Amino acid sequence: MRSGTDPVRHLYVHVPFCAHKCDYCAFYSAPPSGDQVNRYVDAVVRELELVAPRCRPETIFFGGGTPSLLTLKQWETLLEAMRRLNLLGAREFSVECNPATVSADKAKLLRSAGVTRISMGVQSLDPSLLERLGRIHTREMVFRSLDILRGAGFDGVSIDLMFAIPGQTMDLWQRTLDEALALGTDHLSCYEVIYEEDTPLFEQLAAGEFDVDEDLACAQYDALVDRAGEAGFRQYEVANWARDVRMGAPALPKEQVEELPRFACRHNVAYWRGKDFFGCGPSASEYVDGLRSRNWANTNLYCDQLDKGRRAKEFAEALGPLARAGELAAFGLRMNAGWPFAEFKERTGFDLREEWADDLAMLEKCGWGERLEDRFRLTRLGLRFADSAAERVLRPDAKPENRLVLEPV
Amino acid sequence: MDAAHIRNFSIIAHIDHGKTTLSDRLLQRTGTVADRDMEAQHLDAMDLEKERGITIKAHPVTMYYKAKNGETYELNLIDTPGHVDFAYEVSRSLSACEGALLIVDAAQGVEAQTVANVNLAMKQGLTIIPVINKIDLPHANIPQARQQLEDVLAISADEAVLASAKEGIGIDEILEAIVARVPAPTPSGANSFQALIFDSYFDTYKGVVILVRVTQGELKAGMQVKLLHSGRTVEIKEVGSFNPKPYVRQRLEVGETGYITANIKTPREVKVGDTITDPRNPSTELPGFQEIHPMVFSGIYPINTADFEQLKQSIAKLQLNDSALTFQTESSAALGFGFRCGFLGLLHMEIVQERLRREFDLDIIATYPSVVYKVRKTDGIEVEIDNPAFMPDVTYIDAVFEPIVKAFVICPGENIGDMMSLISEKRGTIRTTETLDIRRVMLVCKIPMNEILIDFHDRIKSITRGYGSMDYEPEGYEESDMVKLDMMVNGEVMDAFSSLVHRSKAEARGRTLAAKLKEVIPRQQFQVAIQAAIGGKFVARETVSAIRKDVTAKCYGGDISRKRKLLEKQKEGKKRMKAIGSVDIPQDAFIEVLKTS
Repeated sequence: MRSGTDPVRHLYVHVPFCAHKCDYCAFYSAPPSGDQVNRYVDAVVRELELVAPRCRPETIFFGGGTPSLLTLKQWETLLEAMRRLNLLGAREFSVECNPATVSADKAKLLRSAGVTRISMGVQSLDPSLLERLGRIHTREMVFRSLDILRGAGFDGVSIDLMFAIPGQTMDLWQRTLDEALALGTDHLSCYEVIYEEDTPLFEQLAAGEFDVDEDLACAQYDALVDRAGEAGFRQYEVANWARDVRMGAPALPKEQVEELPRFACRHNVAYWRGKDFFGCGPSASEYVDGLRSRNWANTNLYCDQLDKGRRAKEFAEALGPLARAGELAAFGLRMNAGWPFAEFKERTGFDLREEWADDLAMLEKCGWGERLEDRFRLTRLGLRFADSAAERVLRPDAKPENRLVLEPV
Repeated sequence: MDAAHIRNFSIIAHIDHGKTTLSDRLLQRTGTVADRDMEAQHLDAMDLEKERGITIKAHPVTMYYKAKNGETYELNLIDTPGHVDFAYEVSRSLSACEGALLIVDAAQGVEAQTVANVNLAMKQGLTIIPVINKIDLPHANIPQARQQLEDVLAISADEAVLASAKEGIGIDEILEAIVARVPAPTPSGANSFQALIFDSYFDTYKGVVILVRVTQGELKAGMQVKLLHSGRTVEIKEVGSFNPKPYVRQRLEVGETGYITANIKTPREVKVGDTITDPRNPSTELPGFQEIHPMVFSGIYPINTADFEQLKQSIAKLQLNDSALTFQTESSAALGFGFRCGFLGLLHMEIVQERLRREFDLDIIATYPSVVYKVRKTDGIEVEIDNPAFMPDVTYIDAVFEPIVKAFVICPGENIGDMMSLISEKRGTIRTTETLDIRRVMLVCKIPMNEILIDFHDRIKSITRGYGSMDYEPEGYEESDMVKLDMMVNGEVMDAFSSLVHRSKAEARGRTLAAKLKEVIPRQQFQVAIQAAIGGKFVARETVSAIRKDVTAKCYGGDISRKRKLLEKQKEGKKRMKAIGSVDIPQDAFIEVLKTS
């Protein structure tokens, strides 16, 4: 288990601006207004200053919102501060981009500052569906952005796709999927549309404008698993696929195949495996020294706090050891690799085979899970029920009243 | 008081016809209650009684009235329960009286409940004084009320007193009529002292307070008395009357009503209708005693299983003042532990459930009510079945007998067609149809009690837009083709939904229940078959399709806490689920269906 002085190896930075809010999105973001973005950049630099003494990042992830919406100037300020704070040099440094906001200058700047991965929110390559989702980019922009990124030296590009979009037939999905798999990227994240409250899509569903077709969604997911596998991708989590070698290169010899695909996103793996991470920026969550906390999901409020020289925490909670272990069991099982018994024990202090013996047996019995010599993992069927499995392995806190620790603003 | 100056009477009226207002006026006029102490509805102590305008417990009140002839009379008003669910209690209260005021609303006319209660009073041989009340109302129709008295109740309209209890009109005339027309009580001529127990209630300090009418001799504190049916001999600690608060008296003489206490702690030892007499020289028993038998049964379960003990104590507490209520522990796979409760009738059942909710603040759910069936088995033995779960297997059943009631339904003439189809839908047959006035008819019909348990009354109200009324009295048993309808999920019986239904209706009810269950049973990871079965034969089936996936695609650092809380909440919710076989069903689902079926 960690001690309170070990450096934290993972850093997330939230950029809360979007040119336009997509119809399915419930993340915190707002349209940028010139001065506010500058103010945000100053504040986030201040927050990075506060966490830097404890932070030696192996992975960095800039998510949003739309990080690529920041101007060249703003990026320079940010990256310069990170250099000064000794936060650069991570083995993996990802930045989320919208295909409509990628420019050659920005791409070059990011690459030269050590960004290793670009995660591009493509969602679909079908023009009508892109419109359906309220995206601002076109399919042509996707191809152009990819060229720009490659021109800037980015080999590692990940694309995000969505399926079960209202109006998306099996045929449309397979066309997008095939086209996307042929783009030569080395990472793929695919999400079924979720209907989150307070999104236009949710309201359209509630108003009966379309129906959810569960059978179709299942078939689309199945097609995804099959096709991605055929195209040389290895699934490593419910919604994530990555290659072991670049497209066209000879396959890895069996003995060199590791638990995770080579181009898997290590930053996300850190979440599922319960590693400590800092979260900076409005609405960002973090988990450090047993304390989970979240920043205010309001850019002005966030900046106000940092102007005063303190972090802008909206809430914090500390779980008891068993509850925390249950949480790790639940979220770690989302990964195809499951939980190695030894690693789980090392991270949580509990033995998965003892405390969760009944649950593992039940998961095995209904074909959702399988026990290997060194680990327990969900099966292909089980991954489709990962939430049910998670619900089963969660453990209540002995003293739930101690959970919530609200800090004064 | 000498018997010649005692008058014992009760009041018969339909709900809202003004019984309580008239009682209050009598208390006021006789100076029993000072004007300033008058609170509307003095006699109805329970909130529920006030709200529903019905009396559940009988209260006798002693008033002294100086009549026009210059003499003072002791008038004992015995306020009876106003509903035939309590027909036995009513009959015992009535047998403590010599007369009854029959109140008819001048605007509404005679209602079904009035007919049932007048029948009871007449059977007891009481002198009936008709009072046409609310004559001050602009739409009062006195000639019509008179006509109905004659036609429907066969009571001479010339005897009717015209009154408005609200306005204080006719109160003196009513008091004079009581003195003049109600016969003075006559001693029974028994060989030793004798009194009738016509009700009792529980008092935390005094124990059981027994309400009595002395029929021979007198009762005083210190006497040893025997309760004939319960066989107990006790010493009287206190005797008294009500004004309407209890007050101690030296003695209760023949013909008088009042109370005695005797340090009795268990209300069930005091049986309504029992005779009190001299243990050394017991008199004969007074006629009409019956052990009370519940007519309607239903399971009552706490919604929160942790409330079981509290429910138990609450029902026990209710029973202290309601010895007709019976209960015993039962368990249901779906609902956990609860109680099989027996009630005198539908209203009694509703009142008990309502009091548990209101006075004891309990969340409860009641299972489908059942009447008491008699089953003759192939070996000739007859058993009584009040819970469908205990119905013998069909192969052992020779015949099933179900309780029948005689129902009085009064409705506007234009609804008679709809009413007749409702009655026939409920397997009833109409015996007589009588025109009450230009607007209304009264249908007297025979109908299985099981059919009026659920929505009969509501349906009458909705057909007649609130103008119809209904009452009933038990009329024995008849052989009937009853079958046990079971609801099953994936082959397992859900006991909470088992019911005994007439064969002609079993299939339709099975289909309705199956469709309702389909709506509320959440999808599982496998297909769930909901079936309705009659004696092993399936008559309806619905399918809840299997859930095909349960996974949220996006789950990263910022989602974990929220996601965990959501899943924890779901997990907590599933703890309250009941597993029927392998199917998890939230208790709410059972409750939803039980509420609407």
